[in-house]
Amino acid sequence: MPRLTIDGREIEAAAGRTVMEAATDAGIFIPYFCWHPKLSVPGNCRICVVGVEDKGGEWVEIACNMPVTEGMVVYTNSEKVRARRKATMQFITLNHPVDCGICDKAGECTLQDYHYEYNGERSISVDAKAHATKHYSLSPRIVLDNERCIQCTRCVRFTREISKSNGLGMQNRADHSLVRAVEDGSFANDPYSDNVIDICPVGALLSRSFLHKARVWYLKPTASVCPGCSRGCTVNLWHRRPEWRLRAPGMRAQNETIDRVTPLENPAVNGPWICNKGRDIAKVLGRARAETAMLKGRPAELQGAIAQARSLIAAARKPVAVVSSWASNEELAAFKAALGARFSVLVKADHEPEPGEVVQDDILIRADKNPNTAGARALFGEAPLALPPDADLVLVWGEGLDFGLIPAGAKIVYLNAWLQPENGHADVFFPTSIQTERDGHYTNFAGVTSAFTQCFPRPAGVADAQALFAALAGQAGGGE
Amino acid sequence: MRKQYWNEAEMGLWERAYLPEILRGLAITGGVFVRNMFKWMTGRKGALTTYYPEETRWDYAPANRGKHVLTRRADGSPQCVACNMCATVCPAKVIEIEAGFDPADEAHPKYPVRFEIDYSRCVFCGLCVEACPEDAIRMAKEVPDLPAHDRWSMWLGKEELLEWQPQGDVAKPYPPPPPRVPNGDRP
Ligand code: SF4
Ligand code: SF4
Ligand code: SF4
Ligand code: SF4
Ligand code: FES
Repeated sequence: MPRLTIDGREIEAAAGRTVMEAATDAGIFIPYFCWHPKLSVPGNCRICVVGVEDKGGEWVEIACNMPVTEGMVVYTNSEKVRARRKATMQFITLNHPVDCGICDKAGECTLQDYHYEYNGERSISVDAKAHATKHYSLSPRIVLDNERCIQCTRCVRFTREISKSNGLGMQNRADHSLVRAVEDGSFANDPYSDNVIDICPVGALLSRSFLHKARVWYLKPTASVCPGCSRGCTVNLWHRRPEWRLRAPGMRAQNETIDRVTPLENPAVNGPWICNKGRDIAKVLGRARAETAMLKGRPAELQGAIAQARSLIAAARKPVAVVSSWASNEELAAFKAALGARFSVLVKADHEPEPGEVVQDDILIRADKNPNTAGARALFGEAPLALPPDADLVLVWGEGLDFGLIPAGAKIVYLNAWLQPENGHADVFFPTSIQTERDGHYTNFAGVTSAFTQCFPRPAGVADAQALFAALAGQAGGGE
Repeated sequence: MRKQYWNEAEMGLWERAYLPEILRGLAITGGVFVRNMFKWMTGRKGALTTYYPEETRWDYAPANRGKHVLTRRADGSPQCVACNMCATVCPAKVIEIEAGFDPADEAHPKYPVRFEIDYSRCVFCGLCVEACPEDAIRMAKEVPDLPAHDRWSMWLGKEELLEWQPQGDVAKPYPPPPPRVPNGDRP
């Protein structure tokens, strides 16, 4: 294993590693635009220059493409390196419009940060900036600002090496280079296309759904798990910071909406990527909510509904429960502890693949469109969803069960978070909380458990499933 | 023991008699009151009091920071590009801007759909004016129409701030207001 010295620190790196990788592993930061830990190395941006000591002198070369050698002495911040970096920043921003004021990336833009860190000066160019297409529609999801693009080709390499759609390419050369989608529309159909928005080091690739929605410093990320499929990718849900909440009349509801979803890097599950369905998960989580308990479709007090459900459970001869694969491990365990002995329990799929959606691929997307089927099956077994015809009480938890499958005459206790027609058909209905209103864990198809965190307060009138099961058990457990 | 003050009152017999001086004071106040009242009833201005908000002072200092003005381009559209610098710098966090996207306008693709200031919390510090990179927000010296009966009416919106035409702001010619387009109707 070659030993080398970076900034006076002696480190050891496996042969074949680059100086960039060795430095990153050792916690030494070298700036980069075009390099990405998961992509190939094009070495085109030249910002990662480092100095290497040689016969008393020093030469500079890019770190991302330089293999480590025995006894190498590297400087990341020598005078020569600083001068070269500054010149590179001048070069990269030669035609950059610097319209940070209206750029959605501002605040988390690598170019902006490096400018303050490594350049800090106005452009020394006397020539007019070259102009390019300002708002090019790259796909129905993404707008491209060619003036802001620094031609790092990360997006192009992503579609070749990760999503394999080969959907993007570069046209022309030098000042005239343009990122363009290939004509066959493969980029528009790439289910991972939105990842290029995150990996673009500047604000060239813009998400249409997030376009000008908020400056990023108004938002804060909450760690969560995407419920879109059984991969259970870890994600950040971005929503308004409390200190930046909107107060104008009629605007308050926006404080409790998810403004964007980005991947939360997790080597055990999804690496740094998520699919487009995960980006749009706010649409699923933002559907109209059920917020009052009901008895046969008529609004009722929560306490009254609990009393009614308890007497139904106590009177039942053959009670069956169909539990949700969108419930957290904590809620499922609470159900098992409180009512598991009283009911025979089946697990259902709350969501089936939508028409047109990618069902399964060998990157991330899984055919089971529920986040916690594995967690539910671990507690309640693999039995197929077949309701016994002699069941006289069915407790349904979560959406997605066809009520036609329930034996006629059986009483129905229904727990659902959404405003749906079935709610009114149940004898007792309880509104429940959703993922963004509680903490919990999901177990993905491979058995990896990931945590999600509460973003918003639970609406008044909505029951917490764990407390609800304990309340229902107060009597049902005693009758056993 | 009673404390001795450096400005202890020195009272003669007349002051110590108490009532005469009290009555003299009452007569002065009452006289002013009656005189003002008489002028007021006969339609003249009495005291120096400004009857705000019906009446505002003419002698605000030119540098007074009053109600905000949103400036406009020659075509009448707001100069503001919805960059949120003013909202970010505002120490009272009273500016709320919702941005829209107009790809047809190459030079100004981002524009404010909603621009609101809550005057019940604004501290008139002027930082928003200094932060603006576009000279899109100014503060006129006048302060008309700020009081209201409830706090919700103290939110003034984009239309109001664009269209009120303060006498003090002469640096920019004001074109006639364009035909009103409801928010969100732009392509
Ligand atoms: S890409 Fe970065 S530097 Fe360029 S305008 Fe956007 S925020 Fe500013
Ligand atoms: S669009 Fe972004 S990621 Fe793609 S080449 Fe340009 S700067 Fe790089
Ligand atoms: S004057 Fe000060 S407090 Fe008022 S809106 Fe401007 S920045 Fe905010
Ligand atoms: S700082 Fe100026 S341009 Fe930016 S949002 Fe405020 S008023 Fe508009
Ligand atoms: S990061 Fe090394 S050349 Fe771009």
